Amino acid sequence: MPSPALQQMGKRPMGQRIKEWVTDFRRQWEIQSMVIPGIIFMIVFCYIPIYGLTIAFKNYTVIDTLSSAPWVGLDNFRIILSDKYFWDSVINTLGISFLKLAIGFVIPIILGIMIYELNRGRFKKIVQTISYLPHFLSWIVLGGMLITWFSTSGLFNQLLLELGLISKPSNILLDAGKYWWIATLSDIWKEAGWGTILYLAVMSKIDPTYYEAARIDGASRIRQIWNITLPNMKMIISLNLILTVSGLLGSNLDQTLVLMNSQNREKAEVINSYVYRMGMTQGDFSYATAVGLGVSIVSVILLVAANKITSKLNDNQSVL
Amino acid sequence: MNKAFGKKGLKLCTVLMAAVLVMQGCGGGNSASSGKAGLPSADDRYTVDAETPAWKLDKKEETTELTWYVNADWWNTDFGKDVVTKKIKEDLNINIKFITGDDTKLNTFFAGGDMPDLLTIFDSNSPVVQKAATWALPLNDLAEKYDPYFNKVAAADTLNWFQLADGKTYGYPNYSNTQADYDSGNIPAKTAFVIRKDVYEALGSPAAGTPEEFKNVMGQIKARFPELIPFGFNSIGEGTGSLGDVLQDFLGVPMETKEGGFYNRNLDKDYLAWLKTINAVYRDGAISDDSFADDGTAFEEKVKSGKYATMLLDGTPQQGGNLQIYMSANPGKEYIAIDGPQSTVGHAPTLNQSGITGWMISFITKKCKDPAKAMQIFTYLLSDEGQKLMNYGIEGETYQVNANGKVELLPAVKDLQLNNADKFKKDYRLGEFMFFGHDRDKALSEDAFPESIKQMQEWGKGKLKPHFILENINPDQGTPEARALSAINTKWNTTMVSMLRSKDDASFDSLLADYKTFLDNNNWDKIVEIRTEKMKKNKEKLGLK
Repeated sequence: MPSPALQQMGKRPMGQRIKEWVTDFRRQWEIQSMVIPGIIFMIVFCYIPIYGLTIAFKNYTVIDTLSSAPWVGLDNFRIILSDKYFWDSVINTLGISFLKLAIGFVIPIILGIMIYELNRGRFKKIVQTISYLPHFLSWIVLGGMLITWFSTSGLFNQLLLELGLISKPSNILLDAGKYWWIATLSDIWKEAGWGTILYLAVMSKIDPTYYEAARIDGASRIRQIWNITLPNMKMIISLNLILTVSGLLGSNLDQTLVLMNSQNREKAEVINSYVYRMGMTQGDFSYATAVGLGVSIVSVILLVAANKITSKLNDNQSVL
Repeated sequence: MNKAFGKKGLKLCTVLMAAVLVMQGCGGGNSASSGKAGLPSADDRYTVDAETPAWKLDKKEETTELTWYVNADWWNTDFGKDVVTKKIKEDLNINIKFITGDDTKLNTFFAGGDMPDLLTIFDSNSPVVQKAATWALPLNDLAEKYDPYFNKVAAADTLNWFQLADGKTYGYPNYSNTQADYDSGNIPAKTAFVIRKDVYEALGSPAAGTPEEFKNVMGQIKARFPELIPFGFNSIGEGTGSLGDVLQDFLGVPMETKEGGFYNRNLDKDYLAWLKTINAVYRDGAISDDSFADDGTAFEEKVKSGKYATMLLDGTPQQGGNLQIYMSANPGKEYIAIDGPQSTVGHAPTLNQSGITGWMISFITKKCKDPAKAMQIFTYLLSDEGQKLMNYGIEGETYQVNANGKVELLPAVKDLQLNNADKFKKDYRLGEFMFFGHDRDKALSEDAFPESIKQMQEWGKGKLKPHFILENINPDQGTPEARALSAINTKWNTTMVSMLRSKDDASFDSLLADYKTFLDNNNWDKIVEIRTEKMKKNKEKLGLK
């Protein structure tokens, strides 16, 4: 139920409202003018180009213009629906993303709390530095390292051989069945430490008197974490979840381009790498745009759904 | 966070491209229809003469400024600073501003309508080339109007090959090898089955031509040289490495059916028998799993360090440097070419080389400020004079012709080439400005290829056979067939590697059966039809039966 003030505003005549708006704007012009470049940027680079999405409904080649390319209606979408490789990529994207979400979302929280609980000192710093470090390396570098480690003469095979777990080395990256796990775990290794920063920032803002009071009441460490730390992080966890969920379909490109090979393609190809392959390497822009458009629509749906769910968890308070 | 970055990057690309497209939408279309009639006159500058190249006649005094777009980021954009381009600049009185970029930039040019004067791209099967008539000037008309001498230096077969539906040719490629070039014997082979000399001699120079011999040799290598990988091949990536068409060429798998239609070489019995052999070798542990996952760089590292005992090697000139590094560091252990896998049904090898389609292809656009001058550049670079200049520089200054009629770099230049590659590149730029380079010019000198691959080229003599009829026969981009074909190629890439790694014959066969079903479900009949049709056109163009 809107507040009475809001209800009243809705009833005022249009002219008066515009007038008020102009006065407000004049009064705040310094602040407003700071927003204007951003708005212009958005219009030029984000809104005008939306028109370019029409090539999803056309048969566009390099030498056509947007207007001269022939319309083909929903043909591109129809082909997508019957394309085995597209569906493979959808399944892989969802599979890998949900694994990353299920494991990779919780680990930074746990890690963050663990770091927070450490006493100040050198050890804490070392833990933080080591866990952040992989984030700063690109997938090209990390992928190269992984490829070497997984090769027949690499770290993992040598380790397994020494432990007597296998009798013959094999290239682990060629094993399609293991790819989802490789993708998930390597991504967590890369990003978990970095993901703790946000949580640590929030935790540092928690009023220490809560903890003091809890300790006086005889609460154990675990009890303190459960009843003080976690509830205080609820909001930021929800926000992070929403952002992560909306990006579910769009992730994994860099990683896939580095780690995919002919044998694990079936399990490694994700939507983005598929779009890249169709658009950039095959030159089939219309098809690639159609896939991209479909993905964007689903992403918006996911975003809204995630927002709904988290707002239910947060006593109907929406983060967005 | 980083997860979203890939998506953002892609989106940004699309968005930027689309922005440019939108801008263009308002800017107006292409300047259509500027046939021969629309070409500006050069009568006030010179009178054309069929016997003299126009650049010698042109009296234009002011220096012509031209922009030249090359669709390759790695292209060296300097002009007029090194021996080669300085001479071009002087002789033609021009100044070229090179612009480089990738496909996105190329698209921007087309979308924006702000075309360069000259344009070079790499994919002859792309829509840009197929629809060149809409944006480029026909070379036939240009030659007639400005420089008839062009027809003396351009290969008629090549011009025919690139003729579009209107009977005109718009672009001219480099490394386009015609039948005459093949017949002359000037084209060196670029593929070979190679073995390390020390290994070969230690085993008593065994034959490896039949599947049995091949398996036997690999087994022996594995037993006696445990630190080596017995058999290697080019990085597979999204293609087939050297185990697809390259191996098929070694076995002389037919290029067409008896009726002259498209023949699926991947399903040839002879070829499949060899895949089975290689699978057996893999099962014996004589092929490393890594070979299937290595990228180009990883493969080259292994070549450089002599990790493979034998290799089915494609692109020996590209590997020449790596082979040379290994050879210099390990005298007596260099790789040598021997008769490798051979047909089980008695076909002779039909090795492939750069075909008539060539490599880079250059155009003069409709927006060209001075088409007469642009045409002169084509003629100049294609003439013997231009060719020698691009490859070897200026006689007396950088090279001399020895008693055998072979071109020889002068000692100081040669020394720089071997010992200070960067300075050599900057000062001389020999063999690098290769818009119209050809294999026949490489054959003029002993210095054109590194020592490490000369024996391999020698081995390949007489084994080359043009694959002209199979060039540019894929369905046009953007058609359902083209999409189906790209799916089929992906499937074959996976299937072939899985077959080579299969645990037993039964799974080998079931993978193959799977692939055949995939063909049936993905428009294969239609693709074969299109390819057969295009092969027919190729034959007409080349005057083959």
